[in-house]
Amino acid sequence: MSKDNKSISRRDFVKGAATGLVAGAFAGMGMYSYTSSAYGRLPKTERKMQDFGACRSVRVTNISETSWFNNAHLIGDIHEAGGLLVNQYTLNWAPFANGKGSAKGSYDEGIGSIKELLPHDLKKAWEIQKKLALHPDNPGGYSCLIEVESLDGSIHKYLLDTGWSYEWMEDSFKREGIDKMLEEQQIEALFISHEHWDHFWGLPVTVKYDNRIPLYIHDGFYEEGLRYIKDCGYKGDMTVVDKPITEIVPGMALLKFDVPIINRVFGETSLAFNIKDKGLVLISGCCHQGILKFADFAHANLKYDNDKFYGIYGGLHISPFEDWDPKYDDLVISLGQWGFERIGCNHCTGHLTAKKFIEAGYPVVRGTARFRSASKDYLGNGDKISFGC
Amino acid sequence: MDNSSVSYLESRKLVKRWSGPIPALVNTFIILAFFYVTWWIFQDPRGLMRMYTPYVGYMVCRWLLILFIWVAYIFDFWPFKRSWLRNTHPLIKGTVLTLVSVAAMIILIKGFFIEILGNFGIAYFDPGRLEAMGITDFYSIEYAAEAIMMFAAIASWLSPSWVVACENAPWQKLDQPARGITIAVVTFFMSMIVYFLTMHSHMAILFYPWQKFTAICPPYWEKFANTVSGNFHIAWIMCCTVVVWLFETIWERYPFNLIKNNALRRTASFFGIIAIAVSLCFFLYYAQDLVWGETIRGTRRLMAPDWRWLHVGEMAIFWLVPSLYLTFYCNNWPTKFSRPVNVCIRTLLTAALAALVYIIYYKTSHLFLGTQKGFSHPQQFPMIPMIWLINIFLINIWFMDGWPGWKAVPKTAAELEEVKEEIVAHDVRWTPGLAKGLIVGLCAGVLLYVVIINALPWVGANFTIIN
Repeated sequence: MSKDNKSISRRDFVKGAATGLVAGAFAGMGMYSYTSSAYGRLPKTERKMQDFGACRSVRVTNISETSWFNNAHLIGDIHEAGGLLVNQYTLNWAPFANGKGSAKGSYDEGIGSIKELLPHDLKKAWEIQKKLALHPDNPGGYSCLIEVESLDGSIHKYLLDTGWSYEWMEDSFKREGIDKMLEEQQIEALFISHEHWDHFWGLPVTVKYDNRIPLYIHDGFYEEGLRYIKDCGYKGDMTVVDKPITEIVPGMALLKFDVPIINRVFGETSLAFNIKDKGLVLISGCCHQGILKFADFAHANLKYDNDKFYGIYGGLHISPFEDWDPKYDDLVISLGQWGFERIGCNHCTGHLTAKKFIEAGYPVVRGTARFRSASKDYLGNGDKISFGC
Repeated sequence: MDNSSVSYLESRKLVKRWSGPIPALVNTFIILAFFYVTWWIFQDPRGLMRMYTPYVGYMVCRWLLILFIWVAYIFDFWPFKRSWLRNTHPLIKGTVLTLVSVAAMIILIKGFFIEILGNFGIAYFDPGRLEAMGITDFYSIEYAAEAIMMFAAIASWLSPSWVVACENAPWQKLDQPARGITIAVVTFFMSMIVYFLTMHSHMAILFYPWQKFTAICPPYWEKFANTVSGNFHIAWIMCCTVVVWLFETIWERYPFNLIKNNALRRTASFFGIIAIAVSLCFFLYYAQDLVWGETIRGTRRLMAPDWRWLHVGEMAIFWLVPSLYLTFYCNNWPTKFSRPVNVCIRTLLTAALAALVYIIYYKTSHLFLGTQKGFSHPQQFPMIPMIWLINIFLINIWFMDGWPGWKAVPKTAAELEEVKEEIVAHDVRWTPGLAKGLIVGLCAGVLLYVVIINALPWVGANFTIIN
């Protein structure tokens, strides 16, 4: 009898213990996980404060921020092809169009139709592709000229991105004198922020004028992108960026972010500048990593004057298709806490975002809405912004 | 008690057609093949219909799940007769019931949400109206699909909860279709209330300017959740959906089925599920902060609070897959110990398997699902393939009696008594031994939690899932 009782008692104990184990774990989860004491024990980020020097000023010339001219056509083509996860090289857009219709494009067939013409006869190449592509008049491109003034007064010129439409980018380069600068090899490097159509596919336009310009790309480029660099006649020294921080000249660094991006693109690189006596300036192509992640990474890793965020320029990738999501309002609400003094935005930032920034009282530098830029709420084609001058 | 007095699912017993693991292996192979074929046809961004836009595909798989629950749990397969369910070949049965569910889903989405609600009530349910107001066709469809999908997310918690936790009360004695219609209408109505309390504000701030006259903007959860996004609600609602099914399958409704009083048991089950789900939700959010660092409000992707809340729901779904698999295809292993021990082992086992599925998914899914590498691609919704897979489990087990590995036979009277035992259990009684064990177990559970939260930062620093 006593043995039976002990056995029953042991069995009951095990039943209780098994129940308690699960209940206790859930109780811990519920009562502790989302409390201030739980967050109090999170390790504080240790700042690395990498000294990358300083420069006197940075001036940005917006060569083109109008990556496409009709949102409905662009997103309609993506929609028809199957959405935002479809491989960009199959969308049947120039210069990789084959005339077979939505989602049936192919890198090989597209480039095969124009390879012989690259990079010398871009006009003919683009004409051929326009006959094969969906919405052939929609492409524009994103590209800007960055002029960095060193502490000794010397000027270093760089291109960030090279746009999309050969036709549009040729015109835009000519408008801003970029073609001459390239021919005279005044521009020291071309940084491709990421592999997207509107930042990268216009590469032959740059190569036409300087086929040996040092080139920087993210190591997440896909095979088609790497082949395109060769196929468009590039002969220079290409750096595949595989480190989080690459110093370019004193006060200028290229930062690498590993982020998945729509239409099968991976990774973005952006630029950071330390302006003497002013602070940090961040310049991006599309900033798919998010402007605050960009700023937070710089804060955690770089040393800059006054320990202050000073300025932003570029596409901030908030509402590129004039779409919206409540999470974008999180940025609109919280950006002010970061203390930027000059916000130069355009392109994939979206007009609505710029409008909301202005309504929130942020120091957004307004534009002139020239050369097909649609709004004065942000910096348009041909507009310039300076930091530290 | 006879077979006709309980639901069809409770009235049948699934018997293996072959001994050993062969039925599970055969079914697993067929299910995975069917998953991949249907994924390619309907969802894959490289496939035929490409519904993974992602919200259209997400809406479809969510509503299919609800319809399956309605057909099997709420309506008990009405209007199909019990004799038809027993005598029809599983392949025919599965095809007919799936097609009926799909038809009902299309009527509900197109007929109710888009045509009626979208045209006569709330514009954002109708893509046509959004497009006419200047939104691109793609985002018009995505926004409407998001709203319709969110409704389904809420219903996929409340509908089964009414059956599993509330035991169909107070309409359990009604015949079909009266019971089904009543519960469907009541849970639909409750879903609508929860929708307005949780998601309407999210939808209202999708549009410029914020629709302040029709919804609370900024929403009331902003400070608590550190975001204005409704993903905060998706997190706990998804956890509720998952916990309902854990409660029904691997937990065998334990421990709330120990409560003898009907009203108390049902109330405790309903709110207990919510309490457990909220606990799980907070933990999964905190776990991400421990692994990836604290969020930055206003940024995007991995570091954004809204994405982390969404990912809570995604992680929870990863737990549901092995739990259902264990119940459906492994006879709810283990079953040889006492119910509390079985439940404890299954919980720990499925949690570990969930972590494994999670790792495998993020390491490999981009290689075959047409999705993209990375945790937080804005169009990466692991809930879609997971729910798609779960839907196929349900078709196989609910509509096809586990064919080909299993077949359905009627339960004996003794086996039917076990069904009652699951609703009100008598196998665990309050004794001093149980009380001692409970205290020790509680301490061990808390300790386990402490060990996990201390290990997670180390895991984050030393393990890389995606290179």
